[in-house]
Amino acid sequence: MPSNNDSLNKQEIFQDGFWFNNAIFAQLLGMCPLLGVTTTAENGFWMGLATLAVLLCSNLIVSLVRGFIPDEVRIPAYIVIIASLVTVVELAMNAWMHDMYLILGLFIPLIVVNCAILGRAEAFASKNNVVDSVVDALGMGLGFTFALLLLGGVRELLGQGELFGFDVFGASYPDVLLFILPPGAFIALGFILAGVNLVNMKLQAKKDAVIIVEKQAGSESV
Amino acid sequence: MSFDKAQQKIALTLFVVGLVSATLLALVDKWTAGPIAEAQRQALHQSLLQVLPEHANDPLQDMFLFPMSKQESLKVFPAKDKKGDVVAYAWQQVAPDGYSGTIKVLMGVRVSGEVAAIRVVFHKETPGLGDGIVKNTAWLNSFIDKTLSNAKWLVKKDGGDFDQFTGATITPRAVVKAVHQGLIFYKNNQVDMLKRVYAEALNKDKEGDKP
Repeated sequence: MPSNNDSLNKQEIFQDGFWFNNAIFAQLLGMCPLLGVTTTAENGFWMGLATLAVLLCSNLIVSLVRGFIPDEVRIPAYIVIIASLVTVVELAMNAWMHDMYLILGLFIPLIVVNCAILGRAEAFASKNNVVDSVVDALGMGLGFTFALLLLGGVRELLGQGELFGFDVFGASYPDVLLFILPPGAFIALGFILAGVNLVNMKLQAKKDAVIIVEKQAGSESV
Repeated sequence: MSFDKAQQKIALTLFVVGLVSATLLALVDKWTAGPIAEAQRQALHQSLLQVLPEHANDPLQDMFLFPMSKQESLKVFPAKDKKGDVVAYAWQQVAPDGYSGTIKVLMGVRVSGEVAAIRVVFHKETPGLGDGIVKNTAWLNSFIDKTLSNAKWLVKKDGGDFDQFTGATITPRAVVKAVHQGLIFYKNNQVDMLKRVYAEALNKDKEGDKP
């Protein structure tokens, strides 16, 4: 991890959070909300946004107070901060998004124990400046939202033949109930992870190819 | 016993973090209390409109508590016509035996004992399977005008009149049972309920007379 005051490349931080170090795809963190609420694309999307909101605020605040909190008590301090933020989000959703609050129910308070959030506070926000921490939270949070949306979409499409509540495959589609049930979440996630690895492999191969070409060019000029 | 500087700093840090968090939560709680109550009222109001037949009063306003036992009482929402006569009641019936926990059904019952309509207002059933009790309008409508005597209050699998869903029998079974119990409850208590309504109306009149 780079030291305090060097400003990191914002684009790299974002890409890292959104894709290469994605909480779900790369780190397999936050499985509980992932498997619990992703029965439809809409549920996954809102759960992702709620998590993003908490992550954004917690990274911001932890980064702001990082100089004042003694090392010995940083974890309890971070947890109190995160738990307070989650409660604020929960109250706000209850007040202004009552229907979605009823659907997501128990999973909102569980954002507190989403290790992806404490993980970012500990691994990034406590060591980096405010702007970088916010960029990191945006990358990580949007990456998390994207993962939940994707899995929710796949499960809704295969399980009910719908996407965001709209009929896609028509009435004759035989709903594959398995994908709505918990095992379907694991199976769908497995295939998505395989797809992500394939994409990463190709990206890596392209990078390697560039390096090889540069090396050749270098050796020829010598 | 004395504390060194580092320990004092630790204690102070935790104290400040706790204090700021508690203050923030207290403020947000105060700030959202109104909107939350309003959202819940709105949600209930919407459901009441769906389960009660046409009425001229505000069932939320006219809500009365019907004593069930020494400790418990049931919130009953009466629907009245223009003359002020009760045409139907609505109350929440709880089905404790859903597939994953309690299901709360808001049921509207006409004074004559027929189901006006039902809506599920709370459940944790499996999305795509058990949640047909919310989405499946045809199934919900199959309860309309059913009475204790004109229907068999079981799902078809158990030899009754109400459909189960593919892949989900337990959920509709629990709802059918709860609504059935609600009708039995109404049959046994309809006279007392009516008394309650008149008593409430008299109370209100008295209050109205006061300057």
